[in-house]
Amino acid sequence: MKKTIFFTSFISIIAVITAVQLIMPITARSSQKKITSVIRGVVASQYGMVADARVRIAGSKDFTLTDVNGRFTVEAPLFSSRTIKITAGKDGWFNNSVNALPGNQNANVMLFPIPAKDNPNYRFISPAVCARCHNTLAKYWDKSKMAHTTSNVKVLNMYNGTDATGRELSGPGYKIDNPGKDGNCVSCHAPSAAVSNGGAKDIEKALWSPRAEWDGISCDYCHKIRKITKTNNTPSLFKSHLKRQTPLKGNSILVFGPYDDVVNTVMSASYSPAFDKGNFCAACHSQIKKSDNKDTWNRKQVYTDAEWKSFDIGDDSVIPVQTTYQEWKTWQNSLPADDSNKGKRCQDCHMSWRKEMLPYDNYIIDGQARNMWGTKRDPQNIRPHHFDGGTQIQLKTALSMEIEGEINGNILDVNVFITNTNGGHWIPTGDPMRNVMMVLSATDSDGKVLKKIKGEELPTWTGIGKIEDGNYAGLPGKMFSKVLKDKKGNINVPFWQATEVAADTRIRPKTTIKLTYQFKIENPDDEPVAEAKLIYRPFMKSLAKVKKWESNDILITQTAW
Amino acid sequence: MNSKRILIFGLIFLMMTTTHAFASDLLSGNVKAQGLRKQDNILVYLTKTPDQTTPPQEVFVLDQNNLTFLPHILVIPKGSTVSFPNNDKVDHNVFSLSRTKKFNFGSYKPGVSHNVTFDKPGIVELRCDLHSEMISYILVMKNSYFALTDKKGNFTLDVTGLAPGKYFLKTWHEKLKNSKMAIDLAVAAGKKLTINLKRGAPGVLYK
Repeated sequence: MKKTIFFTSFISIIAVITAVQLIMPITARSSQKKITSVIRGVVASQYGMVADARVRIAGSKDFTLTDVNGRFTVEAPLFSSRTIKITAGKDGWFNNSVNALPGNQNANVMLFPIPAKDNPNYRFISPAVCARCHNTLAKYWDKSKMAHTTSNVKVLNMYNGTDATGRELSGPGYKIDNPGKDGNCVSCHAPSAAVSNGGAKDIEKALWSPRAEWDGISCDYCHKIRKITKTNNTPSLFKSHLKRQTPLKGNSILVFGPYDDVVNTVMSASYSPAFDKGNFCAACHSQIKKSDNKDTWNRKQVYTDAEWKSFDIGDDSVIPVQTTYQEWKTWQNSLPADDSNKGKRCQDCHMSWRKEMLPYDNYIIDGQARNMWGTKRDPQNIRPHHFDGGTQIQLKTALSMEIEGEINGNILDVNVFITNTNGGHWIPTGDPMRNVMMVLSATDSDGKVLKKIKGEELPTWTGIGKIEDGNYAGLPGKMFSKVLKDKKGNINVPFWQATEVAADTRIRPKTTIKLTYQFKIENPDDEPVAEAKLIYRPFMKSLAKVKKWESNDILITQTAW
Repeated sequence: MNSKRILIFGLIFLMMTTTHAFASDLLSGNVKAQGLRKQDNILVYLTKTPDQTTPPQEVFVLDQNNLTFLPHILVIPKGSTVSFPNNDKVDHNVFSLSRTKKFNFGSYKPGVSHNVTFDKPGIVELRCDLHSEMISYILVMKNSYFALTDKKGNFTLDVTGLAPGKYFLKTWHEKLKNSKMAIDLAVAAGKKLTINLKRGAPGVLYK
């Protein structure tokens, strides 16, 4: 009796195993201790099969492309407690998915095209809505400058000619110099207003506009961008192409992003390769000014032919106001294919993990939403939205400085080396108000300042007065900045008054600037000390004074010999 | 009997000299750094000492984990090799553009490691340009006469093999001004030295 039961059980087990093997085409890779099955299917649409669609198991790092007949094959775990979510996405189509069991040979996915037209009457949704699920992403975005570009006091002061207290006619102002004109500040500082029908074009009004809706560059604005193209009609020479459409189904909204595997009922997500490209940022991190009369300026005195050609912003009548994108592109273009820095993009550094965000999370959504719609991802495949730039954290490692000295008789020779270590663009970048100063001092062992014999000095506009108050005019040192000049010869003018770039001494990516100085020593047996400080100043001292802006220099690094 | 006495006296003499030799092989003290919450990771080292000629066999490790280089300060004799494993969950790009040693591994994945040999004394600032908070220093020394302070600022420097004489005891920390103290090894050994440091620009290791 026992023998019969044993025999029957044994036969049953063998039968089950055989059946499984017959039913499922198994690819057993025992050498890797990972037993997988193969799932096959096609990606199709109402127009036929979809080639080159990206297909993967939701959340996995690897994906495959469909062939010309829309066919795909993906490897999946053989043993899975739940069905496997196979996703498909392609530029221009809504992502979609199908749930499949291991070994499924008919896991077909239907794709639907995104709407062909944009809808300028669309109302951008509030970041607060996005934060219901993307709480962490929204929290860091809200701390960033990106989130508050419209209400930025300094921007409003420069626009209106006011100071920090709101007093009118205080220093330069776009509206003072251009009465009756609105300018184009809103296109980047209040983009949702700029692109909406009936939206404000005056940045002061943008915050209160019924169509501008949200301060800054909101989630829904960026995630409505399908692609970026070059144009001659915008100050940045780039145009964001929006697809503002709600709802093909239910209350879901069309959202573009870098993921081809986001499929849920809340958002109608569409994969857009634009989100992983450097030029995604170009529409705002680039600004040129065209001369009214095509007047040229002495461009060759400031930029090399190679730099200018790579900038690709026009002829010598164009004034490059902000060229962060072009600086990055110029650097990347100059690198050989095998260079270890080749391929780095804005997103790699400005949307990377921060220590305060640890431990690493595997999801980009939080709370209950995570349980309902969350896709588990490698942290490597998540881009936190802090957008750090020009902050203390970013600046501390953006540049480095070294110093060496030598005593030759009564002369102290000092060399200072300043390197753009972490910047993928020139430093400082962005608004020309920003500058970086190296301030050098040499003293004898009693603390008496040594007389400089040779070497550059800091210009008057670094401030005349006490050193303790941040005034460095005439001290040994070097200014790294872009200096805009007007027709009358005034320097450091706002961009709308500029007719030329007088100098651009900013530090190129991964390059080192060597500065040489000599000081006189009275006693050759003395042990003098040379000390160098590298300071970031977000705006000129004279401008800060007239605008009543708090001066907040950041000490990047300091070193001594 | 006499031979026994001689033997006992000999042993006592040997013990005394041996004890003295142990005491003189260590230079210890305490560093008080103004304005620092923790008193550790301050380098204390001797100069005017002979350079080390044989590269150490040991491979040092500078780890990457949780967006941090570990240790923050790695002190090595020149000629040492350092391994840079990525034990984090994201890619890192470890590089140095310091004049002491320039290298760049490019972005590399968790589980991957690279080695570099440092053959020139000086300061090497390590960075990861993907994560701007990551910074670390490799201090490449001319020899092995160095020590790092503990959390209380205490240090013990092994001076075994160093001839009696006058040397300079120096310090280095990324946020502190360097200090320099002339010492006579025979006098300083066995005593507890005290060094007071102030915040300011750190200097070079060797002038």
